[in-house]
Amino acid sequence: MVIKKIKTVYDVICPFCGTLCDDLEVDIENNKVIEVRNGCQIGVKKFFSSNPSEHRYEKPLIRKDGELKEATWDEAIDKAAEILTKAKRPLLYGFSSTECEAQSKGVELAELLGGILDNTASVCHGPTLLAKQDVGAPSSTLGEFKNRADLVVFWGCNPVHAHPRHLGRYSEFVRGYFRVDGRNDRYIVVIDPRNTHTAQIADLYVKVNPNEDYELLNAIRAVVRGVELDATEVSGVPMEQIKELADKLKNCKYGVIFFGMGLTQSLAHHRNIDAAICLTRELNDHTKFLIIPMRGHYNVAGANQVFAWNTGYAYSIDFSRGYPRYNPGEFSAVEVLLKDQVDASLIVASDPASNFPAASVRQMFKHPLIVIDPHESPTTVFADIVLPAAIAGIEAEGTAYRMDNVPLRLRKVKEAPGESLTDKKILEKLIEKIKEKIGE
Amino acid sequence: MSEIKLKLKNKINLPLEAESITPDNFAGKTIEDIKNLPVYLGKEQGTIGDYFIVSGKSGEKNELKIIIEGDASNVKRIGEKMTGGEIIINSDVGMHVGNHMRGGKITVNGNADDWAGAMLKGGELEITGDAGNYVGAAYRGYWQGMTNGIIKVKGKVGVESMLWAKGSAPSKKFPTLICGSAGSFLGIHNHGATIIVEGDVDRCAGADQVRGIIVIKGKVPKILPSFKKIGEVKEIELFNGDKITGKFIEYSGDHSVTKNHSVVDKKTGEISKSANGRLYIAA
Repeated sequence: MVIKKIKTVYDVICPFCGTLCDDLEVDIENNKVIEVRNGCQIGVKKFFSSNPSEHRYEKPLIRKDGELKEATWDEAIDKAAEILTKAKRPLLYGFSSTECEAQSKGVELAELLGGILDNTASVCHGPTLLAKQDVGAPSSTLGEFKNRADLVVFWGCNPVHAHPRHLGRYSEFVRGYFRVDGRNDRYIVVIDPRNTHTAQIADLYVKVNPNEDYELLNAIRAVVRGVELDATEVSGVPMEQIKELADKLKNCKYGVIFFGMGLTQSLAHHRNIDAAICLTRELNDHTKFLIIPMRGHYNVAGANQVFAWNTGYAYSIDFSRGYPRYNPGEFSAVEVLLKDQVDASLIVASDPASNFPAASVRQMFKHPLIVIDPHESPTTVFADIVLPAAIAGIEAEGTAYRMDNVPLRLRKVKEAPGESLTDKKILEKLIEKIKEKIGE
Repeated sequence: MSEIKLKLKNKINLPLEAESITPDNFAGKTIEDIKNLPVYLGKEQGTIGDYFIVSGKSGEKNELKIIIEGDASNVKRIGEKMTGGEIIINSDVGMHVGNHMRGGKITVNGNADDWAGAMLKGGELEITGDAGNYVGAAYRGYWQGMTNGIIKVKGKVGVESMLWAKGSAPSKKFPTLICGSAGSFLGIHNHGATIIVEGDVDRCAGADQVRGIIVIKGKVPKILPSFKKIGEVKEIELFNGDKITGKFIEYSGDHSVTKNHSVVDKKTGEISKSANGRLYIAA
């Protein structure tokens, strides 16, 4: 008889999207993930990706004669520290898919190097943070929405695909304390240029023209204030529908707007969010209304938190003068790369080569590039040094912040393969080496 | 009038932060002293002498003219917080030129990058080429941007120019932007600024405007739905008493803002003209 040694870990936090589900069960055999229960398709995939494969790095690599060759940790750290100390304006970017403890080390390293520190919020929900600084934001935790909200607006987001369990856990189908009948107790509005799968299960779908969300928000705000507008149609939405929507918004008991990158990354960027927050504020004259961004990476909210409590700013921070300064557009990763204003980059747990504009990626590849990543990615392929990392939340413990800024403790379910170290450990090694080199 | 000439030695690749280049800092100093003023390249601190050839003679602040030659397109923060005197830049210039300026004059004979004249509190900034985004805007998180002074741009200004500008007629503060054409969200969150555009403007001009006057002599793709048409006018009176003549269509707004002063005057029954948000577009 064969006895299989299967270890099951319960209540695992899923390190994939900002929903940060905390009820996964993972079966481990011979340090391999063999089954994951309760997770959604995309979350489960991440657990299986931690198993050894040809895409997984297990040893540090250094580029020699145009090819990545295996090296020892000492060699790789020494080389990386040398590149970073020599750079006049190094860029440290990424951090959203790792634990808060590593992010904190990232801040320490950036300060030590006098470099530019940025996280993936700058190409994602950075505009949300800008708008919040301008006009504030009434928000709450997801549990509140689950128990109380009877009107849910999804604006420019598609949780059916991007946050699959969000609807079942917090916003649409779940039974709450005051919403005992689940879906039947909620009125769902989806505002999106595309008739997405989220829109197809909504009670009201408002089709807005691409990039014209601002005008629509503007019109709704005016209608909510009781202003008669001259227009018969705004952003492709007929006036009657705007009035109907404004009526619904005003007459609910507890409403919430979930918004995604359809608002933050369409043409008006943070001004869309500015207007959406102002609308929410306006609606609080009539009923209870809140607004919350649908954060993408599972710990991008944590990156904003950690950077903010260390430096005062959530992203796009420049340490070149010794103290933190903040200005998205001047110190954000895409812009400094586009203008060729950095001379070395350290990418932690991110893949800018797949997500940044091609012109800025080209500039990044021109200069020395160090990447800390568990997997092969378009960024690591062009790196000069690759430092293999354990996957936080699967092979390393740590803290992560859910999209509503609730901190949860990530669990370790298995050992990292090969010589991989945690992001935190790698950054600590780098800090130690750099301090040695600059004689601190 | 005394004159100091700064000529850039080489082209700079990384941005050079040179907020020390102001008449206030140069006044009464010898050429040697000026050469030793700090500038920053990345994390390295250098001196003006490292990057510029300095010549001329210094003098009283208000009588001092600084002339900058060479490619200054990567030099940031020239004229920051200056209170008097004059700076002439005969090239393109980097970000933040004349930010927080209180007095004096800056002339850029070329294009300016983003944040030109940000949070200007007085004085005059003239740009003969185009300017980047956030001309005369408030920095991130500030609720008060440009409060006084004038910015003239011959070419185009970028998006969100004059963000959170705040003027006040009783205390004679008239923040003003005169430009050739403008990008989107011109005068957003306007609280009493005067903006005159000789040409066309992109979408959402005057968004969230509480008070202020925006005059557009060219075309706009469309007006925000929350603006209401009042009628045609032949003459526009600006806050400082100046008048503009021509055929314009007058709109009031933005009516989506909670605190909107485009209220009906109880005495006359007409929309109040004393404190209001107005958008004029050439008919």
